[in-house]
Amino acid sequence: MFYLNYVLSELRRRRGRTLVTALGLAVGVALVVTVSALSAGLDRAQDRVLRPLTGVGTDLSVSRPISFSRGAGNGLSTGERRRLVQENGPRPLALTKLGKPGSHFSRDDFVATSQLSFSSSKLSRVRHLSGVAAAAGGLTLTTIHVEGKVPKQQQQPQQQFGAGAVAAGPPRNINLSSISVAGVDVRHPGLGAVTPGQVSSGRFFARASAAHEAILDLSYARRKGLRVGGTVHVGGKAFRIVGLAQTPLGGQSSDVYLELSRLQQLAGRRGRVNTVYVRATSASAVDGVSREIKSAVPGASVTTAKDLADRVSGSLVDAKNLTGKLGLALEIVGLVAAFLIAALLTIGAVAKRTKELGTLKAVGWSQRLVVRQVTAESVVQGLVGGALGIVLGLAGAELVSALAPSLTATVANAVQATPLPGPFGQGQPTSASTTVHLDAPVSLGLLGLAVLLAVAGGLLAGAAGGLRAARLRPAEALRHLE
Amino acid sequence: MTVPTNDTLYDLRSVSRVYGERANKVRALRDLDLTVHDGEFLVVAGPSGSGKTTLLQLLGGLDRPTEGEVLFDGRDLARLGDAELTGLRLRTIGFVFQQFNLIPTLTAAQNVEVALAPRGLDAAGRRTAVERALASVGLEERADHLPSQLSGGEQQRVAIARALANEPRVVLADEPTGNLDSATGEEIVELLRSLSNGGGRTVIVITHDPQVAQAAPRVVRLRDGTMEEAA
Repeated sequence: MFYLNYVLSELRRRRGRTLVTALGLAVGVALVVTVSALSAGLDRAQDRVLRPLTGVGTDLSVSRPISFSRGAGNGLSTGERRRLVQENGPRPLALTKLGKPGSHFSRDDFVATSQLSFSSSKLSRVRHLSGVAAAAGGLTLTTIHVEGKVPKQQQQPQQQFGAGAVAAGPPRNINLSSISVAGVDVRHPGLGAVTPGQVSSGRFFARASAAHEAILDLSYARRKGLRVGGTVHVGGKAFRIVGLAQTPLGGQSSDVYLELSRLQQLAGRRGRVNTVYVRATSASAVDGVSREIKSAVPGASVTTAKDLADRVSGSLVDAKNLTGKLGLALEIVGLVAAFLIAALLTIGAVAKRTKELGTLKAVGWSQRLVVRQVTAESVVQGLVGGALGIVLGLAGAELVSALAPSLTATVANAVQATPLPGPFGQGQPTSASTTVHLDAPVSLGLLGLAVLLAVAGGLLAGAAGGLRAARLRPAEALRHLE
Repeated sequence: MTVPTNDTLYDLRSVSRVYGERANKVRALRDLDLTVHDGEFLVVAGPSGSGKTTLLQLLGGLDRPTEGEVLFDGRDLARLGDAELTGLRLRTIGFVFQQFNLIPTLTAAQNVEVALAPRGLDAAGRRTAVERALASVGLEERADHLPSQLSGGEQQRVAIARALANEPRVVLADEPTGNLDSATGEEIVELLRSLSNGGGRTVIVITHDPQVAQAAPRVVRLRDGTMEEAA
């Protein structure tokens, strides 16, 4: 208790110096707290952007993209080419066969997106690979709805409607619209084109009634004025809208989500999927699983969470990079400056106390005890600096959160690397962007780090001062005149 | 020069202390021989720069001679390590300084406690020792006062209490009346003399004050680092 009283009384005596030293350390600690909180906020923002797509970093998605840069065969087998034509080839629409001229007609066709479909057997093969915790199939298609009156001109040449015709434009009196539809395996709600976490209003599919339910993309619903509880028509069938989902950044968003088997049935693609969503047993297993899938499913394109993270760009990434480099440099410079100031001030304080420390040695204080006393004073200064630094750092973090600067994140779509021209329905996928508001969370761990740094700064300063004190010869110290 | 006997506490043999090197060399003490007996009240007098303080520091184990031996109770202080000298200063020697050297932020009691802290006594033991030391200099009522709230004489009494806290065999006082008026100085000298007479301690007082020298049964005079005479 005596030693502590002595420490505190000395710090009180040199209040100004104590405050300056503590403030120096506080600035260094506050820099670390604020910059680390900012970095954590950026991590969280990035996580917010990617989480809907990537689960918790253990998800992969498998597709079978078609490359048009590989020449005539497109890298496809004969069977695959046949299926490609079967699933996506232009379907003749003989207007003369639709009915009498002037009569109303309506027709729905489904075409695939830029991925080849594959059978459930491949899905089963993926499921049984080591490192795979779960796998679910998904089917993303475009439904083209053609509706109108049969033209009267009998001599009009036969019109064909398919995806290619969309660009050319329909004849008059005939309306043509398309929407993208994704099938979701409701037995694996966490794996699919839409997950319960992405539903912003309403609910996810109920397994018992999923066949009659639809979830709409929020922006599509807004565009079409559709709400939860309403009805949407796909392939000539009505579905009750049970939820609206927020489009995940970089994901292959669709306008409408249906239960997978129902979509397969509507589209005449029973047992076919064109995306497999995979959850690995652990983050460390992802790379191995990715390799195994590529070998088990020839031509497969595997997109991992890391691939997605690598494709994120925009001010969010710029800020992250800036924090990673400049922030770290700022932290280091700030801390070194703070430690240096503390050490110099402590050495200065010891120099001013030469006679006092000499007296202590004269009355029987050992060198170790004198050094301990000087160091203890510095550590207490460090703790005061740490406390001030935490307050300043929290204020800085609070300021960042209060200002909440908006950052944009853009993710290039996974299939953008293999662009497809018009005939396959969706056309070219576009990059997705989103805006996130930055905050700066301060964790208990960060506060602990701040205290540790402050104590380390105090110890360092104490060591410098203690070294000076240790070198004092008592006789010389007593000759010193203050 | 006194011949060493069985009750000899200090025996200095051909002690020299040189500071600096070559052109800056200063010989503070030259071939000094001195014997101090146990329980003696000795005054070392001399003008400024005569080597008095150097002699006191050698006697207190604060410094080592350049040549010669400083025997304390038969042990050569020059051969003791830092830890042994620290232990000796803690338990056996008490210092009193001209400028009191009190810690301004600590109370009188805490200033006395400074000398007790390294001994590892419990709080009760320290409190008892502090009260006893302050009582021995008549300052028990001023225990909670800061040095700035005490007169010069009272501050020197606190310094003496601090020197006595560990009940040392030797008290070394360096110009203890230098910062005091003559009346207070006399009180302090009387107090120091009482530590020897009846107190049983060896008290060595360094001074250039002739009045202090007059009060001592034995005076050693120094001039230019050599002993001029012993009275």
